Amino acid sequence: MASEIRVGNYIVLSDRKYTKTDEWVKVEGDIAIVGITDYAQKKLRDIVGVELPEVGREVKKGEAIVAIESVKAAADAYAPISGEIIEVNEKLLDEPETINKDPYGEGWLVKISIKKPEELKELLTPEQYAEKIQKEES
Amino acid sequence: MTEKRIPLLDVHRELGGNVGEFAGWTTVIDYGSIVEEHISVRKTVGFFDLSHMGRLLVQGPDAYRLLDKLVPRNIESPEGLMVGPTAFLNENAGFIDDVMPYNLGSDEWLVVPNAVNIERDLEWMRSWAEKLGYNVNIIDKTSEWAMFAVQGPRSVEFMKLLGVDSSVLNLRILHFKRNVRFEAAQATAVIVSRSGWTGEDGFEIIAGIGEAEKILRKAAEILPMLGGRLCGLGARDSLRLEVGFVLYGHEIDEETTPVDARYWWVFKPGPKKECVGCPALIEALRRGAKRVRVGLKFGKKARIVPRQGDKVYVEGVEVGYVTSGAFSPILNRSIAQAYIKPSHALLGLTVEVERRGRRYEAKIVEFPLVQPTSSPPK
Repeated sequence: MASEIRVGNYIVLSDRKYTKTDEWVKVEGDIAIVGITDYAQKKLRDIVGVELPEVGREVKKGEAIVAIESVKAAADAYAPISGEIIEVNEKLLDEPETINKDPYGEGWLVKISIKKPEELKELLTPEQYAEKIQKEES
Repeated sequence: MTEKRIPLLDVHRELGGNVGEFAGWTTVIDYGSIVEEHISVRKTVGFFDLSHMGRLLVQGPDAYRLLDKLVPRNIESPEGLMVGPTAFLNENAGFIDDVMPYNLGSDEWLVVPNAVNIERDLEWMRSWAEKLGYNVNIIDKTSEWAMFAVQGPRSVEFMKLLGVDSSVLNLRILHFKRNVRFEAAQATAVIVSRSGWTGEDGFEIIAGIGEAEKILRKAAEILPMLGGRLCGLGARDSLRLEVGFVLYGHEIDEETTPVDARYWWVFKPGPKKECVGCPALIEALRRGAKRVRVGLKFGKKARIVPRQGDKVYVEGVEVGYVTSGAFSPILNRSIAQAYIKPSHALLGLTVEVERRGRRYEAKIVEFPLVQPTSSPPK
C-alpha cells in the first residue's frame, strides 16, 4: 500500500505524479497509467458514464481523451503526456462507478506509451498536488 | 445577487454535508452520494433541508381576497389545509411562480414559493394588494424559520421516533398541524404538513432556527436506525424528475403557461373566471399548447446525463429541447424532461438527444417515469 497525503477528505497517493487538471499518472517502464484523482471523483460525485478513446490514437499532452458524465457535471480528462493510447479500461463502460470506488486502482482510465519522457518532469509531485487542492478548498 | 445561505449550513457541514450553490443559495448539495440518498428516499426515508424555499406570511382582513385574485384555482378551504400547488400567473398566463398556500385560519395564510422567486413573489403580492387597495400585511419569514422535508415509505416511523404524537402521524395528504412537539428532540415546530415533494409519502417541518437545529441533530441520529439518510438537493432533483414534477427556471417560467407544462394542479378542477392570468389561461386552453412537456427515457447504454438546453431531434429534424435531466438510480438509466412541438409530442416516439456533439436515443414517455413506493393517505 503506497503512502498517502490527506487533504481534508481527499487522498493523494505518494507513488505517482499529478496534473493541475486532476489526473494522476503512474509510470511503469515506458508506459504511463492515467486516471482521475480522488479529489476529482469526489467533486464529480456519482459517475454514470465514460467515453473512452480508441486504442492506437496518438494524443498530445493536454488533449481531451476521456469524457466523464456524472450526476453533477460533464467533464473531460486530459492527456497528461503525449503518446499513443495502448490500452483503455473497458470495464468502465459497464461499471463507471468503479472510478468513484477506486480512483487510483481499478478505476484507471487509459495507458499511454511515453513518447517524450521529459514531459514527466513537468507533472506535479504529490506534495504540489496536495497544495493545489488545499488552495482550491480554502 | 447577495449571497444567501441556509441558516443551518454549518450544522450540515459538521454532519458531513457537501455544500454548493442552488438558485442563488449556498446549501447542501449532497451527503457524499446523490445516488445512495436518492435510493434511501424510495426504499426507506430521507431528510432534506429545504430552507432555501420561501416562507411568506400573508395576514389581514383581505388576505384571502388577495390570494384568490392571484391564483387560478379555488382556494376556499378549511383552516389546516394546503391548497395547492397553484401558481401566480402573469397576464399572459405565464408562470410568475408555482406556490403552495397554507390556510392558517383567522385571515392568515402561509405561501411557500420557489427559492429563486421569493423577492419577486413578495413584490408581486404587494403591488397587487396596493393596486386593489387591499388591507394585508405580508411578512417574509424565510430567514427566521428553517424548513425540512421527510420523504419515503418509512416517514411515519421516522416521525414517530422523533416523538411527534399520533394526530401528526395520522395527518392526511395536504393537511397540516401547528405547534407540533418533537419530544425526542425536545423541540417544537411551527408547522408540520403532509405532502410529497418527491412523490413519496412524507412531511414538511417548519421551525425556528434553534428548534430546527435540535430536530436536525436528532434526525441525523435516528435516520441510520431506519436505513435512512440525510439528503442534499442533488437527490431531490433526480427524485422529482422520476415522478415528473416541474422546477421553476427549467420546466416553467414567464413564457410558459400551465397548459404547455400540463401542470393541471395549479388550476384544478378548472380555471376560475376571475384572477390575474385567468382570462389568458382560458384563452390558452382554447388555443391549445404551443409546445408540450414530456418525459424522456434513455437506453441503458446511453451513459450520459442530459442537461437543460440539449436539443431533441426526430429523423434529423429539431423538434424540441431538454429542460432538465438526471440519472435515475431506480431505472438505472438517464431520464429527462423536454418540451416537444405538439406535432411530435407522441408517446412512444423514439427521438435523439444531442449531448456534446453526439446523439443518443430516447423514448417519449408519460409521467411518472417511476411509480413512488409510498403515498400520503388521502
